[in-house]
Amino acid sequence: MRPMKYSLLQLGCQMNQSDGERLRTVIESLGYEPTENEEEANLLGIVACSVRQKAIDKVYSKIHKWNTAKGERNLLTFVTGCILPADKVKFLKLFDLVFHMNELPDFPDLVRQYGVVTPVGLDQGGVGRPIDDVKQSVGPSGRGVVGEESRKDRLKGYWLIPPTYTSGFEAFVPIQNGCDKFCTFCAVPYTRGREVSRPSRDILREVETLVEEGYKSITLLGQNVNSYGLDKNGEEIGFAELLRRIGEMGNASGREFWVYFTSPHPKDMSIEVLETIAEYPCLARQIHLPIQSGDDKVLIRMNRNYRVGEYRQIVGNIRRLLPEATLFTDIIVGFTGESEEQFENTRSIMRELQYNMAYIAIYSPRPGAASSRWDDDVSHEEKKRRLHELQGELQAISHEHNMAMIGKSYRVLVTGRDRLSGYLSGRTEGKVIVRFPSTDERLIGEFVEVVITEAAEMAVAGELGGVRVAADREAVYS
Amino acid sequence: METLRTSQQTYVKGLTHHVQHLRQISPTAYVLRVDRKGLSFDPGQYINVGPHGSIAMREYSVYSGAEEDFLEILVKEVDGGVVSGALKRLAPGDPVALEGPFGFFVIEPAQREKGKLLFIASGTGISPFHCFAKSYPELDYRVLHGVRTSAELYDREVFDRSRFVSCLSREEKGDYHGRVTDYLREHPVDPESLCYLCGNCDMIYEAFDILRSQGVPSEHLFAEVYF
Repeated sequence: MRPMKYSLLQLGCQMNQSDGERLRTVIESLGYEPTENEEEANLLGIVACSVRQKAIDKVYSKIHKWNTAKGERNLLTFVTGCILPADKVKFLKLFDLVFHMNELPDFPDLVRQYGVVTPVGLDQGGVGRPIDDVKQSVGPSGRGVVGEESRKDRLKGYWLIPPTYTSGFEAFVPIQNGCDKFCTFCAVPYTRGREVSRPSRDILREVETLVEEGYKSITLLGQNVNSYGLDKNGEEIGFAELLRRIGEMGNASGREFWVYFTSPHPKDMSIEVLETIAEYPCLARQIHLPIQSGDDKVLIRMNRNYRVGEYRQIVGNIRRLLPEATLFTDIIVGFTGESEEQFENTRSIMRELQYNMAYIAIYSPRPGAASSRWDDDVSHEEKKRRLHELQGELQAISHEHNMAMIGKSYRVLVTGRDRLSGYLSGRTEGKVIVRFPSTDERLIGEFVEVVITEAAEMAVAGELGGVRVAADREAVYS
Repeated sequence: METLRTSQQTYVKGLTHHVQHLRQISPTAYVLRVDRKGLSFDPGQYINVGPHGSIAMREYSVYSGAEEDFLEILVKEVDGGVVSGALKRLAPGDPVALEGPFGFFVIEPAQREKGKLLFIASGTGISPFHCFAKSYPELDYRVLHGVRTSAELYDREVFDRSRFVSCLSREEKGDYHGRVTDYLREHPVDPESLCYLCGNCDMIYEAFDILRSQGVPSEHLFAEVYF
């Protein structure tokens, strides 16, 4: 019998990528095998993202295409991830299964209840129930909708699902889900719900396992990752303490690895967090601190709950405590009502704070977010102009940072083959992209020393200086 | 057990609140009172409220005091508004979806003791200040309330008369005739004041510029924008 296959389309952020890793575990436990070819898949799913309209448009485009294939083969479709309530209502009419990621532990039951015979079910001689039997239990339309009544327990169950990591040396570890900040441009509180922290013992166990397995880059994930523990009202440790325990684990392990976290909110970026990073070598010297705008009034309208002055103080603390750290940020241009003067304030803060990297986005209203009720009154052309201007600023600043790296040696985690033939690429602890000449793919996933010889706007190039590899690996350079 | 406060779960998990009372407070605004069910909040925070079973919810600052055994919100009726219209149709005993509290528009203890608190509101933006006045009877504050007509001076008697300045833009009544921002221009603020602004974004932007020009540092300005 031909094996049943699945194909998964993952849209959006690292959180979705992490969710996808747990989703794959569940799907593969049903006996499905992965395929990149949608046309041979019997199970087609999407991990959706509601941050940009473009991503939602892609969901609609895909499902319309998939539904045309419904009559041609045995095919089940599903969508999960970040879904706004209004979109969920529409998806219910288009997909066979619509579920919240918290409900992932119930996915096998949903598939079986839908009447689908899974490969594992066949092996066990079982078959799914006919669809008519389950209509009453799966939602008003007869489609698979998990009830809301036990999300709390299910979230716990979700976090206990072991992820199918897609890399052997880089891993994402979710530590928190949801958001209580309600930035006016963002729909996440409406798609992922309120902030819920994962138990620290589970996080520490997962990180420890990854370290033991030789993972070199571990990223703690959360919508407001540094708000970790606040929802537990003192019954859970806070973010600084979580980092400290990971740092202690790192010291005890004797292994080299880097721990990152994203995405923090300036409101909760405490001095304790920065002091902890400074204390432990495994906590990476790279801080992603979204500013969104350099203008106080725009920040008020965005409901960001900090002023530029307060943000500036945090960056001052980063420079003082972590002088070697790189600084990344997120910026939105063309937010509702953003005047030229307000935009210039953002440009000004970019120049002042000298970011190594900025993820600059054009504002687009998202249904569900508060700002979607306001006029989107900055023209698209003007938004594009502002975007290009800030990108130009970023390139100049980043180039300056990169030029300063020339002649120095950096520890680099090799991440893969470079687009340029004969080269490998990787990144420094500060996430500066590095290219160097080598075809030795055994280095992928290892730390090497690279002496920087050239600098471009967003990357650097260098020569391999030395390699430290695990004892059981053959490659040894000096 | 972990806590997950999604709107759906709140009411499915038995934390559904129920309407106790609806009080029409002006021709276009009402106060909705629901049972508290032990919900704890800091004065100045807001809650999300919507009709039971609907996906539509809106943010409302808590209007009632922290010590009261009920929750109140001040609702401005919006033409064609899904939530404000639906909430108004509720009768005592009807369920309401509610989640929260959220937000950081609070007065820290040190700030409460420091004094020189200036509250500036437009319209229903008086709501968190109403909560402050009810929750902190000893608070040393002044409040400027900008509205169009005296009918919109919601429950002004809650505020100490000597601390309250009404600014009416369309009636020659009240303490001042004109917009609250006009009042601010004519009555400069002590730069040491801690200024709390709540209401529509245009008022907040204008007041923000005025206060900055009068020497109030941006760190002394706290804002909650109503949409």
